[in-house]
Amino acid sequence: MSPAGPPASRLRFGLGLFLGLLVALGGGWGLLRGARRQLEDDWATRRAIVTASALGSMVARAADDAAVRRTVAAWQEVHAPGTQVRVVRGTALEASTVPADTGDKAAPRRLAREEKPLFDQAQRLRAGVENNRDGGAPKPELEVEREAAGRRVAVPLESEGRVTGMVQVLVPAEGSSSARAPFQALILVALALILYGVAAWLLPPRVAILAMVGTALFCLAAAFFVGGELRALGLLERDGQRALARTVSVEMERARVLGAGTVDGSAWDTDVYRKPHGLVSAAGSVNREQGEARAQEVRRGALRSLLALSVLGLIVLVVVGFGGANRVGRALVTNRQAYAYIAPAIVGTTLLVFFPFFYGIALSFTDSNIYNTNLPLSELWIGLRNYTSILGDFGFMRRAADGHWVFNYLNFYWTFLFTVIWTITNVTWGVSFGLLLALVLNTKGLALRPIYRVLLILPWAMPNYITALIWKGMFHRQFGVVNQVLAIFGAEPLSWFDRPFTSYLTALATNGWLSFPFMMVVSLGALQSIPADLYEAARVDGASRWQQFRAITLPSLRPALVPAIILSVVWTFNMFNIIYLVTAGEPGGSTEILITQAYKYAFQRYQYGYAAAYATIIFGILLVYGSIQNRVTRATEAL
Amino acid sequence: MATQREERTPHWVLHTFLIATVLYTVYPVLWVITIALSGKQSLAIADLPADPTKLDRARAVLPWPTRFAFSNFSSVFTDQPFARWMLNSAIVAVGATVVGLALSCTAAYAFSRFKFPGRRFGMMSFLVSQMFPGTLTLIPLYIIIVQWLGLGSTLSGLVIVYATTSIPFSVWMLKGYFDTIPKELEEAAVMEGAGPGKIFWSIVLPLAKPAIAITALFSFMTGWNEFIQAATFMDKEQMYTAPVGLRFFVGGFQQQWGYFAAGSIIVSIPVVLLFLYLQKYLVSGLTAGSVKG
Repeated sequence: MSPAGPPASRLRFGLGLFLGLLVALGGGWGLLRGARRQLEDDWATRRAIVTASALGSMVARAADDAAVRRTVAAWQEVHAPGTQVRVVRGTALEASTVPADTGDKAAPRRLAREEKPLFDQAQRLRAGVENNRDGGAPKPELEVEREAAGRRVAVPLESEGRVTGMVQVLVPAEGSSSARAPFQALILVALALILYGVAAWLLPPRVAILAMVGTALFCLAAAFFVGGELRALGLLERDGQRALARTVSVEMERARVLGAGTVDGSAWDTDVYRKPHGLVSAAGSVNREQGEARAQEVRRGALRSLLALSVLGLIVLVVVGFGGANRVGRALVTNRQAYAYIAPAIVGTTLLVFFPFFYGIALSFTDSNIYNTNLPLSELWIGLRNYTSILGDFGFMRRAADGHWVFNYLNFYWTFLFTVIWTITNVTWGVSFGLLLALVLNTKGLALRPIYRVLLILPWAMPNYITALIWKGMFHRQFGVVNQVLAIFGAEPLSWFDRPFTSYLTALATNGWLSFPFMMVVSLGALQSIPADLYEAARVDGASRWQQFRAITLPSLRPALVPAIILSVVWTFNMFNIIYLVTAGEPGGSTEILITQAYKYAFQRYQYGYAAAYATIIFGILLVYGSIQNRVTRATEAL
Repeated sequence: MATQREERTPHWVLHTFLIATVLYTVYPVLWVITIALSGKQSLAIADLPADPTKLDRARAVLPWPTRFAFSNFSSVFTDQPFARWMLNSAIVAVGATVVGLALSCTAAYAFSRFKFPGRRFGMMSFLVSQMFPGTLTLIPLYIIIVQWLGLGSTLSGLVIVYATTSIPFSVWMLKGYFDTIPKELEEAAVMEGAGPGKIFWSIVLPLAKPAIAITALFSFMTGWNEFIQAATFMDKEQMYTAPVGLRFFVGGFQQQWGYFAAGSIIVSIPVVLLFLYLQKYLVSGLTAGSVKG
């Protein structure tokens, strides 16, 4: 233990307990306050939607304009002061209870120029309804705006299956319940600290005992806090459900009184796509099973976050308690110069390299896609499902209609196999051709060496996306020069991108063209650093050229070549530009490598979560490759 | 005996081999120059007659335009916002190189010269970060840059992204080179009363010039050539970088090979020249970085 001894560790564990509880309870309190606000907000919105939909269904029943105005006026009577209604049909304001719309501005009248937003909103709703009816990507069919006065809900008006206008209702805000003060959390923290103080001075000052007492107190306090808060949250949820059911039945009753007869109010409680939630039954009471399930879901969501915070708090407790924080602080002070030098780079990479990476991994456990990007990740959590559907699908072959076996090119294992073949062939070509050229260029007294060198490096210097597009042009079926050359030798022009193998050849030709200069330069550098007297000595000993190559050249090349090969494997494995621009996966995704496949899942099929899982698997493969490579290299170096 | 062995492969064989290889490497470059100088948007070098002979076909392969026209070079600037794209690319690439190098040099120096807790971990995590697939970080980066920082379609957003993502590689390269600079030089400077800042500025940095040049080159080329992130972050056509713009010419429904070829040549010339000029550092910079790393 630390040289400061037990008295110091007493204080340290006390401090750790305090900081840990601060993290767990303070953070938990802040988190739950947000969750409560969100919950209240959601319920108020849903009540407002019920109110607006109720009015909408009554206005839709009204026989003519006058009936609409009568309905709206009567409806306004029985609702809270501050409620405002506007009915818009086409360019006309059919009815309005907005205070400004009196006198010469009273409805019915044409919409004024400055009221264009109303017209636009009605058009948006109409477009939304029609779009959803045609089965497009879902668009909202009703709109809710939060204002200081309350919520302004706009619902479409339909008659005979067509959207003819909209009803916009301003539902005044109700007084929200008072926010819970953090008393409970404060009391728990104080209590835990007092108990710890008493225990620490009564018990023998051993670090193990202190740690046990501190941890136990922490867990107790956290459990009390979490239990109490979850119960409160559950109650809030139930209150929200009851209030919603009350609103529905009140609106049903009002509709009946206003002469609409008995209506089914359960259809009024909908989401923005006007799909009923189904929480309220036709009789106007809470559907018990669904209500319970929802409450449980709310509690479970909160519990997950609170548990995570508690674990974080516990870590703080342990780190501070065992002197970790102390040591870190001391290290920071003694090495402040070094840390100052690296700090900017570390901050930058943490924010824009490491954080995105971990965020991406978190994304891979969710069902995130283009339709739900505004939801928090915790709501989209689906565990390992993305991974099981990628890795658990072994159907890379299937029987086609004519009885032949065909490959399923979208299958992960096919793409993986192709990526491996792609990497091996490319690196083999690059190393062998690069090394051969380096050996040739290293010949003493060869004329024009600098010129050859420059011309041979050219492919490396060219931007690789340009190279890719050039080669794609050269492999064009009708105008490409490759087919012209084939024609000179009497061959038929080939549709290069119609068959997997020829398509693969185009990518290989492109990548082979641009990848060998790297290996050539690395080998050449290493060759030039071999002292000439080594060969001299070998010659004196009568070694043949092959023997010299085996005994001198290859071993001297290894320190430079091995890292270059490792690098080159990773580069080729992730060679996005060539595949994406040359073959684009044609035909049918057969020449897709893993990285381009992941990109297509993200930015062409918009399955962000699935794509993230795909990319995480790629990372895992590279990591395994890296560690194996590392071990093998070390083993061979030891020989 | 020795001279006999050296002469076993006659030089004319080597030259033949080298010339064949050079033809292979140079042909695509000549091809793109030919298309650019053809003055047309077609990707055929020569129009074939209805019943082409072998000679006609050979003519269509020979990288020499049937008639010279510089119209592609002028109209790519007048008919398309290509000048603006080039400027965007230049600002982004230079900005990212300067910012990235400033951060990497100091960090690499600390990693090379100081012993401090977290040093190994830092270097290892930089190494591992090179294995992060770009696709995985692209979505979160988009959220951070565009939605949180509001830097979508701005040059500064792209500069920040390119600069930080180049840091790990640059640090490894530079650290490897710093390790090879003898410590005695710095110790002598300390004896003469120079502070750490002075040592870094006037001894280590000048000595590390080859490694810095090569790192700057890689950093610049990455910024100049990158197009996936640029295509993702840059929504407005005015803010495209040159790669995004070039792909625009021949991607999708457009097939403007003439514009593409002329634009490619203009875009490639600076990097190719820079690359060839700095190539003497290539070997020393790369091998120092990778062998020691």
